[in-house]
Amino acid sequence: MRAILAAAFVVMAQPVLADVTVFAAASLKTALDEIAADYTKATGTPVVLSYGGTPALARQIAEGAPADIFLSASVQWMDDLAKRDLIRPESRRDLLGNRLILVAHGTVAPVTIDRNLDLAGLLAGGKLAMALIDSVPAGQYGKQALESLGLWQGVAASVVQSDTVRTALKLVEIGEAPFGIVYASDAVAGQGVAVVGTFPEVSHAPVVYPAALTVTSGADAQDFLDYLETPGAEAVFVAQGFQVLP
Amino acid sequence: MTLEIHLRHDFPDFRLEIDLVLPGGLTCLFGRSGSGKTSIVNAVAGLLRPDEARIVLDGSVLNDLPPHRREVGYVFQDARLFPHMTVAENLTYGPRVRRRRVEGMARVVELLGIGGLLSRRPGTLSGGEKQRVAIGRALLAAPRILLMDEPLAALDEARKAEILPYIEALRDETRLPILYVSHALPEVARLATSIAVIEAGRVAAMGPAAEILSDPVTAPLLGLRDAGAVLTARIASHEDDGLTRLETSAGPLWLPHVAGEPGRVVRVRIAAQDVILSRDRPVGLSALNILPGAVVALHEGQGPGVIVRLSLGSEFLLARVTRRSALALGLAPGVAVHAVLKSVAVAQADIGAAASSG
Amino acid sequence: MPDWLSPEAATALMLSLRVSLVATLASLPVGILVAYALARGRFVGHGLLNGLVHLPLILPPVVTGYLLLLTFGRQGWIGASLWDWFGFTFAFRWTGAALAAAVMAFPLLVRAIRLAIEAVDPRLEEAASTLGASRLVVFLTVTLPLILPGIIAGAVLAFAKAMGEFGATITFVANIPGETQTLPTAIYAFLQVPGGDGAALRLVAVSVVVAMVALAVSEGLSRRVARRIAGK
Repeated sequence: MRAILAAAFVVMAQPVLADVTVFAAASLKTALDEIAADYTKATGTPVVLSYGGTPALARQIAEGAPADIFLSASVQWMDDLAKRDLIRPESRRDLLGNRLILVAHGTVAPVTIDRNLDLAGLLAGGKLAMALIDSVPAGQYGKQALESLGLWQGVAASVVQSDTVRTALKLVEIGEAPFGIVYASDAVAGQGVAVVGTFPEVSHAPVVYPAALTVTSGADAQDFLDYLETPGAEAVFVAQGFQVLP
Repeated sequence: MTLEIHLRHDFPDFRLEIDLVLPGGLTCLFGRSGSGKTSIVNAVAGLLRPDEARIVLDGSVLNDLPPHRREVGYVFQDARLFPHMTVAENLTYGPRVRRRRVEGMARVVELLGIGGLLSRRPGTLSGGEKQRVAIGRALLAAPRILLMDEPLAALDEARKAEILPYIEALRDETRLPILYVSHALPEVARLATSIAVIEAGRVAAMGPAAEILSDPVTAPLLGLRDAGAVLTARIASHEDDGLTRLETSAGPLWLPHVAGEPGRVVRVRIAAQDVILSRDRPVGLSALNILPGAVVALHEGQGPGVIVRLSLGSEFLLARVTRRSALALGLAPGVAVHAVLKSVAVAQADIGAAASSG
Repeated sequence: MPDWLSPEAATALMLSLRVSLVATLASLPVGILVAYALARGRFVGHGLLNGLVHLPLILPPVVTGYLLLLTFGRQGWIGASLWDWFGFTFAFRWTGAALAAAVMAFPLLVRAIRLAIEAVDPRLEEAASTLGASRLVVFLTVTLPLILPGIIAGAVLAFAKAMGEFGATITFVANIPGETQTLPTAIYAFLQVPGGDGAALRLVAVSVVVAMVALAVSEGLSRRVARRIAGK
């Protein structure tokens, strides 16, 4: 019994004992795992990574979750935490950018995405997979881009909304939706998916991943946050399809 | 009507091996609990699928048919009324599921005295009422044979007394053959026209009820304490002192008040241990009933007792006496004796309506 | 619809009711059949069927939804045939939401009905068979009426589960307002934007009211039926 209690205590206490705890948007996982491993190897400081949807993470931080650093996929949610004085404003920075791309199941010839694109014709009655257009950032950006290009009306009825951008990608992978709108960084992870085109940067608000220290962050957190902007870390982000913002 | 039953079935603890040819009327399967009686009726109904079976009712082979196509009526020990249906719905269940017209409802309802229960639900009925409805339900399914598995065993004496006349009426007023399982001898003696004694999965004796009950060899099979023969008697008169005078083929019999109009024929079971034997006609005795007869046979059991079969007029009576008395009296087949019977020894439960047929 | 419920929310509510109702009613006959087979059947694969029925209870809903997608999607091995032969598809349709809800609720439905069947005295069924009822007729006239409370309980449980089903639904049929956006998906969407809590909570309140009403109706119904069955 005592052993079980002790084990339970260790399990529950672990995040608190670790030096740096990072709450990061799920889309950053592949890159961040690699960077954190490098960092721990170099400094000996363990990093605990907790991935999830940005809204869930933000809500957990608001409820007192023991995060030192928040890496958000959405400016909106970072603003929300800032408004509630839950992050250190001076530590906030726009860490990464991303591009919105059109992907297709199988092999499809590339197209240029502009006002003249016959997207509906491309779909040919099939579905267009996107993340939730009113609430998940990738969906919001995607809808904004389609609207600014005058393409929204033509395809609105064909859009299926998934709870995450990764699920939308999955629908394209297995062919349930012939096309989808995802991040460039997601396409790196996609299998059997072709990149058909990249949305013009001007067609939607910039995709920005803000990062900041929480008000409860510990001493080593600042060091890891700064490490994310070193050339070594930046190379990993770029390899995963992200843009490094100046 | 004949019902042929040939069965072989291995249960984990014993083997059932039955060969029976049953006549019409009410045949009792008599035996201890666990002797296999219920398995026999279950096999007839199709609820038990024996290892080997050949069951033929009036030339039609039943053993290959599923239960619902055998057209047997089954009255279980626990009435098994459908709780979600009214009494009337229970009664008409058989014809309804067979998509036939309900026939004879009024007669069955009257026969069983259940007219006042029709709109009630089983949960509100007494045990006796439930059993009468169960009998009615089996009858209205228009069966070719009625199976009754200890239908009275779960009831107290008063309820038994309430139902027995209905079963007698069934036996006497319908031509329906009945296979009746019981381990209670008074009930068997009162109802049976034939008896098959079942012991450890086999038929130990089989024959007309009067013969089986008065046969000193088979009587011990029914249980020594309960052994006793049945006399048929006609009610002659009800007398002022509360006794009823009955006529038997051997002479008059006085018993405490017997219900029924003069002229009614009844069956009276007389337990072997209540009969005293005397070589000479005794005088100055308090016992009212002294019937002349002759010894037909003696049967010595393992104990100190002897069962004596007497012929009285055209019928037979059993008497249980000690071996010492039998020697002292010089009892032997052909010896004339007098049977002495105390009036109060015959209980009301041992008097029933006589079968008009069978 | 009350003013404080937005048209989208009202649509989601009506859709949820329809999806749950259809899911429950459509799975009832299958559920009764499977429950009967599990309660009374002796056959090879009994354990396998039992395990299969309970699988949605064990698997993460997202996995169930994904398996449904792989099976009943337009490219799925059943879904493709359905589409080719009948031009019918579950994918991204409200019928798919109903299918997902039915599959997720199925174990609860079957469990409740199976327990009820096991409580029926088989001797009553024997009695019915001696009175001339075939197995099917025995089932329809004796077993079925006697297990009605269990069926009601199972159906309400299934309906409630269907009303709340989220993981398998959003994975299988995504979120299309008016077609597959059920109450839980709407609640989830509201929770994804800062400040959406109020709208989400209003929908939660609606869900609770629906669940309570369903429960109250079933309680009343069960009590009436139980009284009938008690034979009083």
